Amino acid sequence: MSVLQAFNFRRKNTVVHRLDPRTKLYLAITLLIVSFIFSEVVVLSLIFLFLLLVLAAARSLSQWFRTIRGLSFLLIIVVLFNSMFATLGYAITFVVRLLDIMACFSIFFLTVHPDDLAQALIHLHVPFDFAFTLSIATRYVPTLAQEAQTIIDAQMSRGLELQKGNMIKRIRNYIPILIPLIVCSIRRALSVAESLESRAFGSTKRRTYLHALKMAKKDHFVILLATLAVIVSIYYKFLVGLPSWLTWQIPL
Amino acid sequence: MITAEEIWFTYPDGPTALRGVSLRIRDRELVAIMGENGAGKTTLVKHFNGLLRPQEGSVTVDGLNTLQVSVAELARKVGYVFQNADHQLFSETVYSEVAFALNNFGYPEKETRRRVQQVLRLLDLEKYRNSSPFSLSGGERKRVALASTLCFDPEIIVLDEPTIGQDGSQKKKLGELIHSFNLEGKTVIVVTHDVEFAAEYAQRIVAMARGRIIADGPSKKVLTNPKILEECALLAPQATQLAQRISERVKGFPTELVSVEEVASAIREFLGG
Amino acid sequence: MPATVRVENLTFTYAGARRPAIKNTNLEIMEGEYIVITGPTGCGKTTLCRCLNGLIPHFHQGKMTGKVIVNGVDTYKTKVSDLSQTVGFIFQDPENQLVALNVERELAFAPENLGLPREEIRTRVEEAMEMVGIEELRYKAPYELSGGEQQRVAIAAVLTLKPKILVLDEPTSNLDPVSARRIVTLLARINRDHGMTIILVEHRLDLVASYSNKVVVMNNGEIVVEGEPRVALSSDYVEELGVGIPKILKLFKELQIDRSKHAFPLTPEEAVNILT
Repeated sequence: MSVLQAFNFRRKNTVVHRLDPRTKLYLAITLLIVSFIFSEVVVLSLIFLFLLLVLAAARSLSQWFRTIRGLSFLLIIVVLFNSMFATLGYAITFVVRLLDIMACFSIFFLTVHPDDLAQALIHLHVPFDFAFTLSIATRYVPTLAQEAQTIIDAQMSRGLELQKGNMIKRIRNYIPILIPLIVCSIRRALSVAESLESRAFGSTKRRTYLHALKMAKKDHFVILLATLAVIVSIYYKFLVGLPSWLTWQIPL
Repeated sequence: MITAEEIWFTYPDGPTALRGVSLRIRDRELVAIMGENGAGKTTLVKHFNGLLRPQEGSVTVDGLNTLQVSVAELARKVGYVFQNADHQLFSETVYSEVAFALNNFGYPEKETRRRVQQVLRLLDLEKYRNSSPFSLSGGERKRVALASTLCFDPEIIVLDEPTIGQDGSQKKKLGELIHSFNLEGKTVIVVTHDVEFAAEYAQRIVAMARGRIIADGPSKKVLTNPKILEECALLAPQATQLAQRISERVKGFPTELVSVEEVASAIREFLGG
Repeated sequence: MPATVRVENLTFTYAGARRPAIKNTNLEIMEGEYIVITGPTGCGKTTLCRCLNGLIPHFHQGKMTGKVIVNGVDTYKTKVSDLSQTVGFIFQDPENQLVALNVERELAFAPENLGLPREEIRTRVEEAMEMVGIEELRYKAPYELSGGEQQRVAIAAVLTLKPKILVLDEPTSNLDPVSARRIVTLLARINRDHGMTIILVEHRLDLVASYSNKVVVMNNGEIVVEGEPRVALSSDYVEELGVGIPKILKLFKELQIDRSKHAFPLTPEEAVNILT
């Protein structure tokens, strides 16, 4: 699962990690908007460099690159595919924007813990049930992955060979893995539900929280900068126009 | 015979589970592998059917090097009974559940039917032949999982924590069953932290801690040694604890005893009425 | 003094089942007692303990007749969330009881559910942490904890509800002997120092028998033996049922020591004193 490394939260103590999750949500969205405002390869590349700096500040560059390496094959296909319908220059620009979008999402998922995300959603007045479902689903993902591996091991020990056979046989071979996984997941869900019930889950609509999210000065600062970035981008792109060095296109 | 030579294994997400483990298990032995959770017991036995392959060192099963053979090939020789039966059950009927391995190994229809019938009878599951495995109780499902491994008659059987959640009589039946496999000529390897069970049924104990084998020998020697027990986070069998306490007050009272019967006769001998 | 738990003629049949899981069961538990409920698989002990905090009949559907009164309150008429402040429940698998990001948040979960003010939540979290002795685990995530640590966290997470009674359903099943013993001694300490009523469903009697003051043995949905552990567990009937009695008891039975002269021991220490 190394391909998914870019979206896997790791607990670290960096400036980026310490920002409020709502700030990071806002940052990711604004950077996304900026990536879509521009279609100039130079601007998009500058944005990309900026995003890499943010990833470096979050000490997550190596994680991100592992994913990119895993997806590099796919990215090359995207370039080739696009260049069939348009110029190569356009295709490269397209991929740079894709990288920008991926980096935006990565920055968010790498630095925001699922529980903090749930808490951020609650602060944004999303119903607790929904936010909690999200965080509990994420909490059990590694457990589920481990269970899937155990099931695969158990069936392989009975002679199941996942790599053998034609396409149809290979798909059928996943039935002895999916069924136990589903059954065990349902059993687990019931077990967790019992535990939640026994701890007064849902007993009141006015749930309280030990930890409250609080915006610090650095959060306000980042939100201000991010908003300015969007405003300036719109200003320069649509109202004033960009200087020629920024609008240079790849001559291919 | 299973030979492990200086095997090292580290999981992809970090922990080094085995640090230079060497072991030889001969045919027809009944071995218990013991130690606290995280000592490396399950990691070790997963090397015996190729589910895991050593990063350093080698594992040989019946002359086959596990690095050169597939799991499916090793699975014919080494039957692995997992702790949680629900990780295996998926079929519509108990019959097809048990026949799964036989089908995978390419047994002909007639042979399959014979073997399934035989093992269902052995484990008292005949009346559930056409039932859904999911409709059975926990203990019955465990027996179905066991049946689905026994049916292809492997020479070596590995059981991973088979006593968890079992009551006294279930443990007794299980113990008698593995004892009978052993008498038939099978090699039985049990991963367990149930000291009483190991004391009663295993001849040899391999005690592990933190990825290493701390002790490997007859149960009389391993389960009665306080240093080994402490290092492996095990408690001595109650009978042994009693023997050791008596020996503090009664000179010469034997301490290398593990079973209730042995200690009882020693008491009769040394303490008279 | 009224019993803190009173089970009167309780019969429960799970929805879709042909036979009742427990029938005509009567049981009285006094405050501060440490009860062990045991019996062969399928005897109804799991069902019985779930009747004590309202999971039966409110969470598990079925037909219930008879009454369960806990701390003066009828479980049939009371919500599980209300009962949870009197009866804390610990389950077998710690993995399915830890739902939060770290230990501190896990402990805060139950009081947060009750809508308590922040200072109150903080106080309860600190008290529970101290009671169980897990302060050093405060910021750890569930996957960073061993099985024994997870189960101790689960116990602390339930203690934040300030229950009077703790019901535990085979809490040491998945644990190695040393971790299991740690849980059992923790329960004994909570029972002794805080007067908490402990109701423990267990197979591993060698570990727990010596701490309890009453053993309840069930079979086929009924309570068949009830009494002081030494007496209850040394009967041949109980052994024949398939209950795994402590090996010390087995040894004494083998020695055919006269039961009327000496009370049977539950630990090696007691045994030595009798023999020498």
